[in-house]
Amino acid sequence: MLAGEVTPTQKGRLNVKQGTLRMLLGALAALLLAFGLAACGDDDSGGSTAGSTSGSETTASMPGEGKPPITLGTKNFPEQFVLGELYKQGLEARGFTVNLKENIGSTEIADRALRSGQIDMYPEYIGIFNSTVAGNTRSFADAAAAFAAGKAYAERHGFTLLPLTPFENVDALAVTTEYADRHGLRSVADLTKVRGFRLGGAPEFRERPTGLPGLARGYGITDVRFSPLTIGLQYQAIDNGKIDVAQVFTTDGQLVDGRYVVLTDPKKIFGIQNVTPVVSSRVLQAEGPGFEETVDAVSRVLTTEAMQRMNAAVAIDKQDPAAVARQYLEANGLL
Amino acid sequence: MTAALAAPFAQSDPVIPEFGRGSSCVRDNGLFCWGWVKDNWSDTLQPALLEHIALTLIAVLIGSLIAFALALAAHKRGWMATPVVVVTGFLYTIPSLALFQLLVPITGLTRTTAEIALVSYTLLILFRNMLAGLSGVPAEVRDAALGMGMTERQLLWKVELPLALPAIVAGLRIATVTVISLATVAVFVVNEGLGAPIYSALQQTFKTELIAAGALCVALALVADGLLVLVQRALSPWTRTARP
Amino acid sequence: MNDFVDAFRFIGDHVPLLWSLTLDHLALTGAAMAIAVAIALPLGVWLGHLHRGSFAAINISNVGRALPSLALISIGVALLGIGFVNVMVALVVLAVPPMLTNAYVAVDGVDRDAVEAAKGMGMTPLEVLLRVELPLALPLIFAGVRTAVVYVIATATLGSVAGASSLGDIIVDQATYRLPGVLGAAICVAALALVAELLFAGLQRAVTPRGLRARRRVGAAVGPATTTET
Repeated sequence: MLAGEVTPTQKGRLNVKQGTLRMLLGALAALLLAFGLAACGDDDSGGSTAGSTSGSETTASMPGEGKPPITLGTKNFPEQFVLGELYKQGLEARGFTVNLKENIGSTEIADRALRSGQIDMYPEYIGIFNSTVAGNTRSFADAAAAFAAGKAYAERHGFTLLPLTPFENVDALAVTTEYADRHGLRSVADLTKVRGFRLGGAPEFRERPTGLPGLARGYGITDVRFSPLTIGLQYQAIDNGKIDVAQVFTTDGQLVDGRYVVLTDPKKIFGIQNVTPVVSSRVLQAEGPGFEETVDAVSRVLTTEAMQRMNAAVAIDKQDPAAVARQYLEANGLL
Repeated sequence: MTAALAAPFAQSDPVIPEFGRGSSCVRDNGLFCWGWVKDNWSDTLQPALLEHIALTLIAVLIGSLIAFALALAAHKRGWMATPVVVVTGFLYTIPSLALFQLLVPITGLTRTTAEIALVSYTLLILFRNMLAGLSGVPAEVRDAALGMGMTERQLLWKVELPLALPAIVAGLRIATVTVISLATVAVFVVNEGLGAPIYSALQQTFKTELIAAGALCVALALVADGLLVLVQRALSPWTRTARP
Repeated sequence: MNDFVDAFRFIGDHVPLLWSLTLDHLALTGAAMAIAVAIALPLGVWLGHLHRGSFAAINISNVGRALPSLALISIGVALLGIGFVNVMVALVVLAVPPMLTNAYVAVDGVDRDAVEAAKGMGMTPLEVLLRVELPLALPLIFAGVRTAVVYVIATATLGSVAGASSLGDIIVDQATYRLPGVLGAAICVAALALVAELLFAGLQRAVTPRGLRARRRVGAAVGPATTTET
């Protein structure tokens, strides 16, 4: 007898099989319905499941009440994750609905996402905005000048730049405290006192205008031995004595301990990199006047030391950016 | 507001709370810090796992429905099989990373984009297995059923589909583990699923998170595969003893 | 559609870059396959010859096929750091199961009559293996290698996120290369996989003893449905 031949007794078994089939299809349909509803439900309001409350007081005077949801994007490194959570939670505390899209990619990708409307806002560094987004490679005397130039460009293209944060995350050169004391180093200009020091930095530092050429042009530093290394490993290299001076970022978490001295850059050859929230102008209008105020309240409390500590917590102590941001905002009365 | 710099904090420097130091295991990037996993389970790992399961289930269910419809159609009209296999096969060869990025300009950085890509990858497997299952019903069985007076529709639902179930479930099994694997790549579109902690850990080479998220994903795939094997066995008891 | 045209233009404009990355991609694939073959084939053939370990040998491909590639790479990075080696190891882990299972099933499934006849003719077990079992098993063994190669070529693309250079470098870097680049590199990967598939299909046919070629089409389906190529 062939397996599957339909005989009366086998028909009974087939009915069981058929019953199982119906049950399976029913279960499939139910699951699909459930997840379909869940998916449709969250797709607009939420990639983020951070446990933040949308304000402990729901008084009618909350500026965000009734305003359309806003999509906030962040670029692909820890400081950006922290900034994203800071702005998101700060806005939510005032009744706004924020859809956070974390880790969307590099500057170019974030910019494109903003221009195509996939995100409405993201935190950008003013120097990078000017050079990469606006294509303007002039160097500026101070933050106000850089901001003015960036703002002019933005407004011609349908965005607005909100006021800068006090902190900037800019390239810098750092040495150990004891090396600084030994050679009397406080600013990059003092490096001319040290012959043939070993400098470690990202490979592109060698050629780019804000790298070795900038040091030569701005401070007359030419007697330097450069070693390319992976960013992230420069602190190890300086600790192990492989290099004397490291290329760092001014808000690196490793700088909290006071073991390193960041040399000042009076000529600003490394640029100016305070953060400005770039927002689509149309969305900014739709969100009402309270929006800019709320974002600004958050920006105002972001000092260099605060960012260093938060970056240390996230990048070195591997804490959750949402939790770190929440603690910081709570401590400063913004939640 | 014309001021460039946000006004300095009114009273004094902002308050910086103690965030607490990570364990020395974490600070030294030890291979696996169980403490970190416990602390971050409900914030990071569990949501990622649940999102991953959701992404997978939706993709497999939608893919099944589409593939099922196509397979039924191709079962009726044999000429449809080749074009469907060609189209779904073509989708299948596009590297996942590329397909996700190509869909973003069309459907945005959303879950929808991720699902469209994931569904595309299930179609070839599911369609081929469903069609093979339906076609694999012996001609004598079909003739006998029709001879007994069944309509085409009764034939389909009462005879062909039940007999095709083992092949269908085998296809479901392959499709499910494929989607679980590909859903990790969805992080390039939407920061959800187990790909999110994996990618973030790769950016910092954070070993504990790499192992925790990676192992969770492997476990999920093996559990899903195992469950579907049980379903497959339950539906086709005659294959349990047969071994080539 | 526009992007499609641009993709081919991208390929035309970037031949040196694509060529260099293709070589890297092939290096990664080749190294992983060489090691995987060295592990999987001898082991599978030996177990099949002894008709031992069937449960493990058959099920390892089921388990192996279920392993998510990026998750394996992730664990690999934790254990071995960023770079070529860890991605290669992950690829080896993914390539071994289908080849092992196919090799086992191929040798285990050789017609017992043929084996008996050979023993009757006085061949030692080793001679039986080399002169009877292996030639008859080669087609299915090659089918396994073919499946593994295509899978490794596709998965090597992901290696770019873990520091192993491959065509995936372009696909990952949408910022620099834009969508035409992403699509162009994807087309190159697909073409590479297709070439490998055809090459190994040809090889498979070449190693099939002439007498088996007619039967091969039926016999290629031998083995559990789980070894169907993905």
